[in-house]
Amino acid sequence: MSEVSLLEVAGLGKRFPSRDGRSDARWVIQNLSFSVRDGEFVTVIGPSGSGKSTLLNMIAQTDAPSAGTISFKGAPVSNGDGAGLRPGLDCQIGYVFQDDTLLPWRTTIDNVLFPLEAQGRLDAHGRERAAALMDAVGLTGFERYYPHELSGGMRKRAALIRTLVYDPPIILMDEPFGALDAQTRVQLQEDLLRLWEAGRKTIIFITHDIAEAIALGDRALVLSRAPTHIIGEHHIDIPRPRNLRDIYAAPQFASLYEAIRAQVQ
Amino acid sequence: MTRWQSIIDKALVIAAVLALWQWGSMTAGAYWVPAPWPVVLALWDMMRTGEIFRHAGYTLQASLWGFLLGGIPGMALPFVLRRLPRLEAILDPFLVGGYGLPKLALAPLFILWFGIGIESKIALVTSVVFFLVYFNTAAGVRAIDPRLLLMSRVIGAGELRIATQVIWPSAVPFIFAGFRVSTPYAIGGAVIAELISSNRGLGYLVQLGAMNFKTSQVFAAILAITLIVIGANAVVNGIERRLLRWRPSSKTAGTTASGGM
Repeated sequence: MSEVSLLEVAGLGKRFPSRDGRSDARWVIQNLSFSVRDGEFVTVIGPSGSGKSTLLNMIAQTDAPSAGTISFKGAPVSNGDGAGLRPGLDCQIGYVFQDDTLLPWRTTIDNVLFPLEAQGRLDAHGRERAAALMDAVGLTGFERYYPHELSGGMRKRAALIRTLVYDPPIILMDEPFGALDAQTRVQLQEDLLRLWEAGRKTIIFITHDIAEAIALGDRALVLSRAPTHIIGEHHIDIPRPRNLRDIYAAPQFASLYEAIRAQVQ
Repeated sequence: MTRWQSIIDKALVIAAVLALWQWGSMTAGAYWVPAPWPVVLALWDMMRTGEIFRHAGYTLQASLWGFLLGGIPGMALPFVLRRLPRLEAILDPFLVGGYGLPKLALAPLFILWFGIGIESKIALVTSVVFFLVYFNTAAGVRAIDPRLLLMSRVIGAGELRIATQVIWPSAVPFIFAGFRVSTPYAIGGAVIAELISSNRGLGYLVQLGAMNFKTSQVFAAILAITLIVIGANAVVNGIERRLLRWRPSSKTAGTTASGGM
């Protein structure tokens, strides 16, 4: 590995105590290692129940690993005992959840500004940035709407730019487009890629959809069933910018799809 | 169209109630059950002399103070205990006990401790309101969506901000459910304390009317109490509606712990 990795996960493990507390604890994740370069878009594919969300929670520092280390910019950030967890690692790790987690009592724009407000960084520049992001995902005109007045796709867009607005170096995404219809989903994937190509953040994107993993990522990691570890790594050399609507037509697509499908059990 | 329909429906029900009341008065005798019109006249009379306002003001004052002294700590305590789970575990059985305790049974004790002045009324109302608001607020604080908490921590929100900008708005429907249940109890508590021992207030007026066999005065005072409760409820609902403007209009408020007197 010639380049310094931005994020490195080494020998990561997570164990949950069994229900009765007497028999042996169950390892959900065991000996999981990978690293991510600065500006890389990594997709992670795994079967359901493979602890994908648990993995992201540990990286986001909202959950403590039972074994292994996570390093950010070469410095370990997690020592496995759970004390001193720093959720979001001082706003350096953004997290787009499976559900939109918008605050229902805040309007769209106030939801998008919430991180800047919470970090005490809400100034004219921040408002401009928020307005530009709103515009980039087609939410201009909906600033004063409450989340329940927006469509599912719009809520996802708002949740996405709420994370982008404070510009964290790493963004974790947990199946963010899972619950959407196919059309909205492609639109959101296009929005995401456009925004990513403009800013080149580091993204770790979890999905159970192989096509989505290929369409978005520079690299796709395949997870095993529990106890989860990485069983496959695929470099996706489809040139960018990619045409997501015709991604199936890319010459590399079929072989990548087959290779990944063979590993996903 | 539906608006007029609803007004007509309500008018019909009121007319039916008044008719039943009139019939009851004629059957039982006006001495025991005064007819609607003399009651309205008696109320009007007391309004003209200002007597009713003096007594209502006293009752309202006791209710309002008790509401604030019970409601504010009842609302704040769950936010404090959220951060102190050990203290919460210690206090829980006492709070449950306090909630279950029939507060009216405390009235003589409060009179003994605080005298027959307004303090004993305030104490009774406080003891009733506190537990109702506490348990409703605690339910609201517990009902917070853990994903919203997770999100807030990840984006760098501090605990104070999370309490005021995430948990509080999410708990408002529960807190107001507590307020709505407490409102009639606050006024009722003050009235009952006045019934037991007082020389002022609407409860005293009821008691005085009964002692002098002036049932129309008793009914007029009860009518005034009812109107005050309806008015106070409207105020609470109005404040809640303002705070919950963000809600889809079809949703109704959260769970309600009721009873407690």
